[in-house]
Amino acid sequence: MSLPFKRVIQILPGIAFIAALLLPLELATRWNLVNRVFIPAPSAVFATTYDIIITGQVFAPLLTTLSLLAGGYAIGCLAAISFGILMGNYRRVYNLFEPLIELLRPIPKAALLPVMILFLGLGPAMKLTTVGLATFFPVLINTVQGVRAVDPVMINTARTFGHSGAAILWRILLPATAPYILAGMRISLSISLIVVIIAEMISANGGLGDVIVYGQRMFLVVESYAWLVIVAALGFALNFWFRWVERRTTFWVSPSNQ
Amino acid sequence: MKLVTPQTTPINGQSIRIEGISKTFSSHGGTMLAVDDVALSVRPGEFLAIVGPSGCGKSTLLQIIAGLIPPTSGRVFLGDKDVTAQPAHMVYLFQQYSKSLLPWMNVEENVMFSFTHREQLSKSAARDRCHEYLQMVGLTAFHSYFPWQLSGGMQQRVAIARALAAEPHALLLDEPFSSVDALTRLDLHALMLDLWTQKRFTAVLVTHDVDEAVFLADRVAVLSHRPGRIVDIVDAGMPRPRLPVTTHQDPRFIAVRNQLLARLLTKPDAADVPAV
Repeated sequence: MSLPFKRVIQILPGIAFIAALLLPLELATRWNLVNRVFIPAPSAVFATTYDIIITGQVFAPLLTTLSLLAGGYAIGCLAAISFGILMGNYRRVYNLFEPLIELLRPIPKAALLPVMILFLGLGPAMKLTTVGLATFFPVLINTVQGVRAVDPVMINTARTFGHSGAAILWRILLPATAPYILAGMRISLSISLIVVIIAEMISANGGLGDVIVYGQRMFLVVESYAWLVIVAALGFALNFWFRWVERRTTFWVSPSNQ
Repeated sequence: MKLVTPQTTPINGQSIRIEGISKTFSSHGGTMLAVDDVALSVRPGEFLAIVGPSGCGKSTLLQIIAGLIPPTSGRVFLGDKDVTAQPAHMVYLFQQYSKSLLPWMNVEENVMFSFTHREQLSKSAARDRCHEYLQMVGLTAFHSYFPWQLSGGMQQRVAIARALAAEPHALLLDEPFSSVDALTRLDLHALMLDLWTQKRFTAVLVTHDVDEAVFLADRVAVLSHRPGRIVDIVDAGMPRPRLPVTTHQDPRFIAVRNQLLARLLTKPDAADVPAV
């Protein structure tokens, strides 16, 4: 019980600091020191955010964005993990693909959107592909590294007990690589959120990226900011959730967390 | 340490015979002969030790016997069966117990990892078997612990219990006692002899610790500097049971140990090095 309390004490100054930053902004807007059309009062933004959530307006855009994110992310992760295990295990596969991957990896995946639209149109296929690509590379690189770091003693332990190749993959290689894979997946999660929002901004699909741009175009500036707050909260929640998943699934990595 | 449960059934140790085993490694444009034409015969239920200077290829030889690496030439037989280059019913016990135990499995799951894939056992039968072996190493109470929650000596006991739970025809020990402290080592020696007496598996131990080899084994084979060749096989021949204090003072123990040390300390290219 004392631990959560201690944590609250730890983050209290940080929260107070955020409040201290918002307070002058609030006063500045109320005293008309800034143009309220472009910079609305934080209180107004929060009130609108609250309205959007309470009235249920939040659900449709949130669901649209989340399903695109989940789909693209899942595709990207699955492809990267399978391919990463191949590359990590077989030197020849690695040598064949490594230069191509090093060439494609540094491209900001958002920059591929115009090309993706050209080939796949403005529908979900384009967004899923771009999110999938954004997810793919960090997970791939980490999986390859993780597979290479697996101690041969572990593999030989399974072999000496007569385990099959499939059993070695599922019971040794994947769990041993899991900490690396999950670290890559955490990086990919924030990148794919960025990419999905950008993709939605250029294709009116009713997602979170779309409603932010819509608010700006219709001079619903307060709404635009409110949706921004919701996206920020989503990013925060996803990261928080993922760290929890990470601790639970690879509990042996830092046992002191238990 | 008294952990003997007399009602346990013995594992039938089988003979191991290796013929003309050689191993050449190729690395960066050159080749290196690690093991050179080794022949060796281990009787069913025998405890054989192989000693040699570091880098003489003794671990390589043991891994070839285990089927973990293929020999360049030669054959390995377990009983009458040719088991060259295939992991048969022999279990390799690693020096690096902390890497050999799987950190995402608790003690019980680690032990079950050695046999549940081969035998269709009910959950309770598997657990019983697991606990029988954990009891023999005195760790029943720790069955739900994770390896990293145990001391080094306890971890190696789990590894031993896991190796024996597979009920192998032979146990291949790769310096399994070299990375624990001296007292724990003596403790594990006694435990190993205890288990061997009960279970009668064939044991092949590779070590650079001559005292350990003589204390545990029936016979001790001496491997030369690289490339590894068998240059001598000595009968330890002290009576059993062997006990940590008395056996180490046995005149036979001292004589055999000195003979082996002299053999090991004589370098082939430096005949003037004084023998002990």
